[in-house]
Amino acid sequence: MAVFDTPEEAFGVLRPVCVQLTKAQTVENVERLQAQLQAVSDSALQELQQYILFPLRFTLKTPGPKRERLIQSVVECLTFVLSSTCVKEQELLQELFSELSACLYSPTSQKPAAVSEEMKLAVIRGLSTLMHSAYGDIVLAFYEPSILPRLGFAVSLLLGLAEQEKSKQIKTAALKCLQVLLFQCDCQDHPRSLDELEQKQLGDLFASFLPGISTALTRVITGDFKQGHSIVVTSLKIFYETASFVMADEQLRRVSEVQAKPAVEHRVAELMVHREANWVKNTSDKVTVLIKKIIECVSVHPHWKVRLELIELVKALLLKCSQSLVGSAGPLLKALVSLVNDESPEVQAQCNEVLRHFADEKVVVGSRAIADVLSENLHSLTTSLPRLMNSQDDQGRFSTLSLLLGYLKLLGPKVNFVLNSVAHLQRLSKALTQVLELDVADIKIVEERRWNSDHLSASAETLASQPWSRIQRRYFRFFTDERIFLLLRQVCQLLGFYGNLYLLVDHFMELYRESVAYRKQAAMILNELIVGAAGLEVENLHERHIKTSLEDLREIVTSILEEYISQENWYLVTCIEAEEVGEELTVRQSGLQALTSGAHTRQLLSSPAFSQPSPTICSMNSNIWQICIQLEGVGHFARALGTDFRLLLMSALYPVLEKAGDQTLLISQAATGAMMDICHACGYESLQHLINQNSDYLVNGISLNLRHLSLHPHTPKVLEVMLQNSDASLLPLVADVVQDVLATLDQFYDKRATSFVSVLHALLVALAQWFPDADNLGQLQEQSVGEKESHLSRRPAALEKGLENTTTAEDIEQFVLNYLKEKDVADGNVSDFDSEEEEQSDPPRVNEDDTGPDVEPPLPVQIQIAVDVMERCIHLMSDKNLKIRLKELLPQKSPPKSWYGIDPSLEFLCIFPFAFLPSTCHSW
Amino acid sequence: MPLAPGTSHTSDFAGRSWSEAWTEGRDTPGDCIPPSMVAPPSPPPPPPDPQFVLRGARSAVHALHFCGGAQGQGHPLLLSGSLHGLVHIWSLQTRRVLATLDGHAGKCVTWLQTLPPGPQLLSQGRDLRVHVWDLAEGRNAIVDSVCLESVGFCRGSVLACGPQRWMLAMPGKGGDEVQILEMPSKTSVCSLKPEAEARPGMPMCLQLWQLVTVAIRIPVLIPVPVLIPVPNPVLIPNPTPEPVLADSSPLPLLLAGYEDGSVALWDVSARKVCSRVACHEEPVMGLDFDSQKARGVSGSAEKALAVWSLDEQRALQVHGTHQLTNPGVADVRIRPDHRLLATAGWDHRIRVFHWRTMKPLAVLAFHSAAVHCLAFATDGLLAAGSGDQRISVWSLYPRM
Repeated sequence: MAVFDTPEEAFGVLRPVCVQLTKAQTVENVERLQAQLQAVSDSALQELQQYILFPLRFTLKTPGPKRERLIQSVVECLTFVLSSTCVKEQELLQELFSELSACLYSPTSQKPAAVSEEMKLAVIRGLSTLMHSAYGDIVLAFYEPSILPRLGFAVSLLLGLAEQEKSKQIKTAALKCLQVLLFQCDCQDHPRSLDELEQKQLGDLFASFLPGISTALTRVITGDFKQGHSIVVTSLKIFYETASFVMADEQLRRVSEVQAKPAVEHRVAELMVHREANWVKNTSDKVTVLIKKIIECVSVHPHWKVRLELIELVKALLLKCSQSLVGSAGPLLKALVSLVNDESPEVQAQCNEVLRHFADEKVVVGSRAIADVLSENLHSLTTSLPRLMNSQDDQGRFSTLSLLLGYLKLLGPKVNFVLNSVAHLQRLSKALTQVLELDVADIKIVEERRWNSDHLSASAETLASQPWSRIQRRYFRFFTDERIFLLLRQVCQLLGFYGNLYLLVDHFMELYRESVAYRKQAAMILNELIVGAAGLEVENLHERHIKTSLEDLREIVTSILEEYISQENWYLVTCIEAEEVGEELTVRQSGLQALTSGAHTRQLLSSPAFSQPSPTICSMNSNIWQICIQLEGVGHFARALGTDFRLLLMSALYPVLEKAGDQTLLISQAATGAMMDICHACGYESLQHLINQNSDYLVNGISLNLRHLSLHPHTPKVLEVMLQNSDASLLPLVADVVQDVLATLDQFYDKRATSFVSVLHALLVALAQWFPDADNLGQLQEQSVGEKESHLSRRPAALEKGLENTTTAEDIEQFVLNYLKEKDVADGNVSDFDSEEEEQSDPPRVNEDDTGPDVEPPLPVQIQIAVDVMERCIHLMSDKNLKIRLKELLPQKSPPKSWYGIDPSLEFLCIFPFAFLPSTCHSW
Repeated sequence: MPLAPGTSHTSDFAGRSWSEAWTEGRDTPGDCIPPSMVAPPSPPPPPPDPQFVLRGARSAVHALHFCGGAQGQGHPLLLSGSLHGLVHIWSLQTRRVLATLDGHAGKCVTWLQTLPPGPQLLSQGRDLRVHVWDLAEGRNAIVDSVCLESVGFCRGSVLACGPQRWMLAMPGKGGDEVQILEMPSKTSVCSLKPEAEARPGMPMCLQLWQLVTVAIRIPVLIPVPVLIPVPNPVLIPNPTPEPVLADSSPLPLLLAGYEDGSVALWDVSARKVCSRVACHEEPVMGLDFDSQKARGVSGSAEKALAVWSLDEQRALQVHGTHQLTNPGVADVRIRPDHRLLATAGWDHRIRVFHWRTMKPLAVLAFHSAAVHCLAFATDGLLAAGSGDQRISVWSLYPRM
């Protein structure tokens, strides 16, 4: 097809067609014109614009009934022309605008004329194209007050179409056209940004439309979800762009009190709006109502793009209209905040982005008003939180807590405004503690036992192999969803991160002490507060926020830890131990009143668990959970402090290790978990390493607790574990503590010998491992093996004897006589060794140095220990009660435990014949 | 800080419950607690525990000394001297040995003392040497040493005379002399030899201090509230104790306990005994003096403590004796705030008394061998070293 580049050529071609159209206005003629136009170049068309438009406009203006089809084709042709040309005259623009909008005008009703959908679409496109084709200057001139009635007509027309049409295409087109009319088009044709004066002019003009636009769009937005997300998205966009343009703080600030006299006729002037304070207030109230409606509907919209647009709405309105729309700030922030944990990652990301942006721009922090609104929201939320948690389902709880989390994120350091008010803090803490209430009715908690006394490392490995099971599953009274617990933890962490840690910890410690009912929850919250304060797992939105200093943190952790591991909070009744109930409870009841150190002088209250004569399953469950939570807390503290926690090991390691050996499965798991945390935090390679490196702290605890054995019945267990995990380098320490053990054993032969025997067994096994056979003793080895065998062969006989003597008194007598006789023999035969032994059994061996070189060197320490142990075992052998009890405890193990203790000691001692002889003689 | 443990207690310190609270400290029956003070009929509370125990000295501990925050760490240190000649430096923060000094040829270290200017340490051993150690910046070197002329058990004493000058008293030759040296020049100032007819035997313990001139004990215009604790190191009487009148010159005095059980006050500059009083039947094993109250206490091998005072004519007077259950006091120490007195017993126990009233407050039973030495830190912590190779550290009524 030929292209007519010059206007002359084009004119030649187009003239007949135009003439014909003027004469006979038919669809065919219009179509012919359009066909010809295809062949004309844009520049030529521009020259001939007026000429071509004339017949088309003429057709539209001709009075009388018109066929719809004709008008549609005319509009389409017009649109084509306009799309290729520019409108350079304002008059033309105005006229075309009126003519096009009139096409859909129906004189009878307020609604758009009842015409075909194609027609409507054509007109909408025509209007849109017209506005695009207008020159920039002309467009601005177009928006003068006098155009108000016509523009208003078009706007309401388009709104009506968008709202009432069925066709999605029309709706979309109408909304697009509206965007163009309202200077919101996002296409590339309008690059120029408006200056302040122009903005004000437009703002004044559009202010007239705001009520209409906002209400109509609200209806669209809150309409059926099925109408398609793109319509809602566009409507939201128009809504917030218009609102934020008209209500922009920046514009309103410059609006003078007195309305300038408009240079327009009276009828138009009535339509004009002056945006003074009163108007702003009224409008803002109305818009707030609409915004609430929109948020209510859109925040649960199934399509994520709609929710994403909601975030944009919040962002635009809060950034531009934070003063004018202050009443909406609450709902807007709430909407934003509730989307923080949206299921769509895009929405989440954008939400976080906006929150961060707000934080950076100090929208919240910088503006007192919004911070107030936010704290008010937070307050009302915390007030209703317990009720909501009770009444809502898990989904509802989830969104409520998300909201709480969002508020905290948004308020950042300003959260202290809320916390500093006693009422606020109390409500918040009440809500948290109520929600976190554990369900302690489950009988399994007490039931589950750790029967097999696994080696510590083995249980640690099983834990490490499944890191996700590290956090023990808890059952809460008010919710079952794990995500809710996660949210609650995040809430506490954020509180710890932003809040005044001293204040919070103080408050929750108070709660912790106050009553058993809140103790577990308070401990959980404290644990998470510390994690949060250390900045672990917290995403900081407020860059200039200063974290709690490590110094303060350490101080706080120390005090919490002290509370946790204090007598009345750490040693709770968790099971009815057959061996240990009895007089001990009464002893415990009296409470520990240590005199000396400041840590101990606080008046102890006797724990409620003790005051009950027989603990119920529930109270024991509760105690178990409390210990688990506290253990978890110790792990958290270690993570929070890192290697600084090493200093706290001296007080924390012993109690944790003690719990690791607890019979209740949950407690021992929690304790092992805490040990792992400590290991990682303090930079130890393994649990063995941790124990080995800190044995001195453990020994300190062990030795002090041995002094109060009735209060600390598990102390021997700790020593056992320590011995299993240490090496020969600790011999001096071990020697030291063994003296304590033996001294204590001497006091408690009757009651606690069993636990001591197992310790002594562990000790001798350990000694045998640490000192296998030194090189210089190699030659003694062979000799000793023979000796050992001879003793082994003798053992069954003696064993029998030992067993027998438990049955009849005669046998016992016989045995004792034998024993004494043998002892005499031993004394007589090897008197020199015996004297040496006696000398060594004096605790202070001060004269060691003074002995001359000709005196036999003293026994190595390890041998001395073994000999001492042997001496004790001998006494145990003759203890009737002990054996009977041992048999009850270990029915399947035939050798009594004291033999069990002596066995390795024999193996060990046999490599030192000179010490071995007297001791074994004693034993036989 | 609201969380600090023990804060509830501090308010009680000066008030009523401070003596009541002590009644919880109990001892074996028949010990020094009067019947009226024995705890109520409810089951006996467990005996008090040390705050912590330091292990690893590897032999009996014979000397202890607290050193506040030297070596630029800010954390207090505890120095201990052992029977085998080693000096251990313990960090009270980690409760572990920071360093070990070996300079006494395996012979018992009997006395340890840091010097006020800079982190310098004096250690006296039974190898007849007093070493001066430089501990600054982690150095552990002997910079100087002085030879002793007597193998007794007597510990030395120092007194700061100026910024870089100090006076050292130590047992001298001839069995009964006390030698005074000026350090660091090591020049002998004098030798204090008792008069021939006195025959007090060997000096057993020494304490140098500076006299606060008698006249200033009655200043009307300068209020010296007795209750304000003067920061007074344990062994060295404060070089500038109490506000003094401008013209009163410092006057070094020496308190010496002798083998015959007497305590003598020497005027070092005049080289003569001011006063002498027989306190004990047995040799004096340890003494401590409270220059604020002009009162001192001494312990001996017998089962009594003697409290004596110094009147305005510089005359010693025995105030009274205090009977103990078991004989043998190895060391006595008054806490720097002049409130508590602690004694180290051969019966393995540490006894604590109210210093002003001499009321027995507690018997601390932990050690399994004789307690050889005691030391108070400026913050009130008490350390005790014993023959069982352990050092127990006690926090007795922590002060603020």
